[in-house]
Amino acid sequence: MSYEIQTWVRVAAYLGGGLAMGFGAIGAAIGEGHTAAQANIAVSRSPKNSGDIFKSMLVGQAVAESASIFALVIAMLLLFTNFANPTYITVAVMISAGLCMGLGAIGSGVGSGYPAGAACIGMSRQPGVANKLTTNMLIGSAVCQTPAIFALVTSFILLFTNFSDRPVNPTWAAILGAGLASGLGAIGSGIGGGLVAETSCEGIARQPLCSQSVTNIMLLGQAVTQTTAIYGLLVSFILMFKFMPASDTISSAMALLAAGICMGVGAIGPGIGEGVTARSAVSAISRNKDATASITRVMLVGQAVAESTGIYALVIALVLIFVV
Amino acid sequence: MQELGRIHQLIIPFFGHNLTFNLEVIAMSWIVMAILIVFGFFAAKKKSRFPGPLQAVGELFVGQLFSLTEDALDKKRRKTYGPLICALFMFLVISNWLGIIPYLEEPTKDLNTPLALGLLGFVIAHYAGIKARGIKEYTKAYFEPFIIMMPLNVIGELAKVVSISFRLFGNIMGGSIIILVVSYLTYSVLLPPFLNAFFGLFVGTIQAFVFTMLTVVYISVQVN
Repeated sequence: MSYEIQTWVRVAAYLGGGLAMGFGAIGAAIGEGHTAAQANIAVSRSPKNSGDIFKSMLVGQAVAESASIFALVIAMLLLFTNFANPTYITVAVMISAGLCMGLGAIGSGVGSGYPAGAACIGMSRQPGVANKLTTNMLIGSAVCQTPAIFALVTSFILLFTNFSDRPVNPTWAAILGAGLASGLGAIGSGIGGGLVAETSCEGIARQPLCSQSVTNIMLLGQAVTQTTAIYGLLVSFILMFKFMPASDTISSAMALLAAGICMGVGAIGPGIGEGVTARSAVSAISRNKDATASITRVMLVGQAVAESTGIYALVIALVLIFVV
Repeated sequence: MQELGRIHQLIIPFFGHNLTFNLEVIAMSWIVMAILIVFGFFAAKKKSRFPGPLQAVGELFVGQLFSLTEDALDKKRRKTYGPLICALFMFLVISNWLGIIPYLEEPTKDLNTPLALGLLGFVIAHYAGIKARGIKEYTKAYFEPFIIMMPLNVIGELAKVVSISFRLFGNIMGGSIIILVVSYLTYSVLLPPFLNAFFGLFVGTIQAFVFTMLTVVYISVQVN
């Protein structure tokens, strides 16, 4: 069975588009469902404020949806763009771009549903701070989208870089690895960042006076939580832009693919773990504002230790790329 | 769509190496600096107890960022590092907002700018650490908890530079790509202004703040 290259590229485009939208639909749906569930609870507690709560639920769900919209954009591009002079690398590029965006949308979708839900509950508890809660929720959800944006950047660079002067054999694996590193790496950080933003909304509803320091520490915690997603981005950049010499064996290609999988899967755990750390830190600050400085220090040190497994994954990925 | 990934470069041969200048990024950074200098000049021109609009904005920036620095460090170090933090935040905010003006681009969209600022923060943080704790204590921290952890501790420190700069770069680059692609798909009808407001103004401000905050925290981790 031998097909023309054009056929293979069409097959890859359909496969990539399907993967992008299929995986990309998982996270946002879960997140939005969570938001709506919390909004129901909030309305049952305080039916008087149902207008505010309903508005906040819709805004929160719209932000949570954006990760899926990124996946939709990539899927449309894959289905409707004609790529000139396709090679077998183009086949790998299309599958990889689809996988990357699809997987990368899961975490951010799930994560940004949490702060919206917590903001709804908070409004039922403290209707007076509805504005502060909405602002904090929007900031938290926007930062939650960062891992999905990283996956989007990787997909776009994959689609619009000219790889045709590279040798086919190790490059196909490097490209698949790049997509997996960025896509899988975004899952943990997206969920973790959502957990942090959730408790910050809870904290502001509990103690509106400390909203400034809660928002600051939330941003800090989310930023550190994203570190492992950034390692994933770094590994995919190296895999995309390092010129791999041609080889006849399969082992060099497998090393590059393994580097991507290693960094991607290795980033999931630290992302969630650091999010859990920062979640408790934010909640602690809303209970005891005077201890902000020492809580922040403990949080940062704890996150650094939780991140060490992500650094092991980074080291092994770099060894696989540069040494093996 | 052809504009994606296009860079104006000036390449000058220099003793066997090629020096590469990204002309657009340099020009945009100069525009940002010019805006800041003009703003500073007019904000501080007529200082009075009843501030005019520009002076009020300037006081807002300085007051907020100085108190942020004081919370993370202490009163004495606020005097040393406060102006740096202030300048960093204002440069980043104006840089990230620049993209919403037609024909101008964010200098932070090029990885070199965030990387340079990240390295700046890294060097200053480690200088502050050596100054505060002494070279002996500073070096000892790398051999904790065991001696064999030394390489991983060093990699962990270097990874901070990577993470802080890629975070800013990825967000700004991602935003500008989304704006470009959506404008292309919708023939620039209706959606792009909202996207510009979200990614340029909102995400740009948040990311500038996150970058500044992380630089302060890196200094405070080294000092304490």
